[in-house]
Amino acid sequence: MAVTTYEESATNSPSVYSQYVRPSSHRYKNAKKGLPFNVMLVGPSGLGRRTFLNTLCERAIVIPDDGENAETTKLPEAMKIQHYTVDIEEDGMRILLNVIDTPGFGDSIDNSDNFKEIQDYLEYQFDEVLEEENRIKRNPKFRDGRVHALLYFITPTGHSLREIDIELMRRLGSRVNVIPIIGRADSMTVDELKKFKKRIMQDIDFYRIPVYMFPTVDDDDEETIEENNELRASLPFAVVGCEEVVEKDNRPVRARLYPWGAVEVDNEEHSDFDRLRYVLLNSHIGDLREITQNMLYENYRTEKLSLEDNDDEDKETSSQASSN
Amino acid sequence: MAFEDNNEGIESYVNKNVSQTGIGIANLPNQLHKIVTKKGTDFSIILVGESGTGKTTFVNTLFTTELITPLDDSTRRKKQCDKTVDINIHKAELEEKNFNVKLNVIDTPGFGDYVDNNDCWHPIVDFIENQYEQYLRQEQQPVRKGLVDMRVHACLYFIRPNGHSLKPLDVRAMKAIGAICNLIPVISKADSMSPTSLKLFKKRILDTINAQNIRIYTPPVESEDESVTSRNRDIVSAMPFAVIGSSTEVVAPDGRVVKGRKYPWGIAEVENDEHCDFKKLRSLLIRSHMLDLINSTEESHYDAYRTAQMKVRKFGEAKPKATDNKVFKDEEEALRKRFTEKVRLEENRFRQWESKLIAERDRLNKDLEAEHNLVKQLEAEIEAVQTSSPGNRFNRK
Repeated sequence: MAVTTYEESATNSPSVYSQYVRPSSHRYKNAKKGLPFNVMLVGPSGLGRRTFLNTLCERAIVIPDDGENAETTKLPEAMKIQHYTVDIEEDGMRILLNVIDTPGFGDSIDNSDNFKEIQDYLEYQFDEVLEEENRIKRNPKFRDGRVHALLYFITPTGHSLREIDIELMRRLGSRVNVIPIIGRADSMTVDELKKFKKRIMQDIDFYRIPVYMFPTVDDDDEETIEENNELRASLPFAVVGCEEVVEKDNRPVRARLYPWGAVEVDNEEHSDFDRLRYVLLNSHIGDLREITQNMLYENYRTEKLSLEDNDDEDKETSSQASSN
Repeated sequence: MAFEDNNEGIESYVNKNVSQTGIGIANLPNQLHKIVTKKGTDFSIILVGESGTGKTTFVNTLFTTELITPLDDSTRRKKQCDKTVDINIHKAELEEKNFNVKLNVIDTPGFGDYVDNNDCWHPIVDFIENQYEQYLRQEQQPVRKGLVDMRVHACLYFIRPNGHSLKPLDVRAMKAIGAICNLIPVISKADSMSPTSLKLFKKRILDTINAQNIRIYTPPVESEDESVTSRNRDIVSAMPFAVIGSSTEVVAPDGRVVKGRKYPWGIAEVENDEHCDFKKLRSLLIRSHMLDLINSTEESHYDAYRTAQMKVRKFGEAKPKATDNKVFKDEEEALRKRFTEKVRLEENRFRQWESKLIAERDRLNKDLEAEHNLVKQLEAEIEAVQTSSPGNRFNRK
């Protein structure tokens, strides 16, 4: 199957569908049902993953765990993978948002198995597409489950990355676009947040962790380059999630109430939530999808097929040897 | 106070009220006060919790001085993938109104920070028990003057506010530590939770603590003074304490200069009871219950340890080393193998040398014998020559 490259960059084109190498019937389907976009949320519990999801979709998709049994807290919870599907309308474009949540990640005493599980899930999605591509008779209802973006929630320690953060982003960065996020960012003052972000980016540089860096190509226009530079500089995004609506200056705002003030979710100075939402669902949705399909998936495909080739060669030589 | 008069004829104490002016027995508390004030006291606390839970900041805020300096970036990076829990002891001498306190603050960087945190509480439990052991040994020495008392009087366990409940790691660690030391659970960074979620969180933590039989420190509530009792009740009802730490001073909206954290949306004050429980915890640790913490450590925890040890050991005997650390065991095994190997090689060498020497000796002996035989032969010949022709003796002149 030939893979044609696209001419325009995602942010400029009015319709992101034109870039994908799919038969026209699929294109038509996308327009009706919504652009499929798969996002995975990973992070230790209590960092606001589910609240983030609810805030993103502006309605209660998932109800946070309420009645946890005191007796079972001792038992280490195995990590689960849960799916939620939401229809979103963003700037006139319909998006079929598929969210994959991973409750239980990083909560046990020994978390070494968690990475493998997520990696297996990602590779399984790639395998499905590989298989589908090689079929003679393709399934018209095939749902592309490849994860386009992985939002990794970093604990706001105020110091730097922890071993589990480094390990996860490093291992999964070659299979999916990893976007680091600081959860519960309202526990840090402005100064602390700046220093924390700086240290995290230094760590990412030092350990050579592959994260989504808002890449630009040379022939992008000035505006796009500047926009991407700005976004890169505000990595990782500091997010505060909240579903409650309160009154402020007679306007309804989404905010968390404290005895000393209210943190507004949509206020640029209080949190990067709006910016992240825009990037995820609007400006960079095409770029994320395209990198997943044209780079990450292709790399995986090459790896897997050359591995099989090597296996076949080995089998040939061994069979030759045995027949001699 | 009158003791029961028992039948064996031992004199019982009879209550006698000494004359109105008194002879000075009532002055004993004052004397004690002078002695204690002169002597000062030791106070050791250990801080346990994941990195970034505000331990360093809290301690610096509590004692209003920078006891522990935060790590700089390069040191922190070295610790990131270290996989070990360190024990760092910071000593300080505090003085207030002529009363001295030798303060020991023990920090545990690396606790709960790694991917695999199995047994990360063992170094801490070992440390606490070692302090008891050291004290026990010192007590048993003939000369007991310069006792160094590093027994841990309180353990502050910092819980990260994740809005749900205790993590499995917290439960295991708290269970192990609470059994041998006064455990005080503390919710750190309380300014990231709204008041309602904080209340719910506290309740869930207490439920878990009760369900899992974790022993935490409960200060005595009742006292003769009504106000003290009510204050104690306040303190107990606020457990586990939710604290905010800050050593910087900021200006509040109403003009006061307070210790607090400045956010774009307001200022969270450290010493404001509506914002956090810092004052209550400080009161518990220092103002009202420090003595109780010290006493309960010495009387119940240390005593329990001592009793258990004395049941299995004789007076003065050393503690059997618990080698349940697998890494050390493996290393020990490897060293032992290498050592045995080396010894074997050397023994072989020596044996070979010995056999060579023996062979040499035998050879030399044989030569000697051959020479000896030759000499004997020659002697015999001389004899023969002499006896056969006596006249042909050599004239020696």
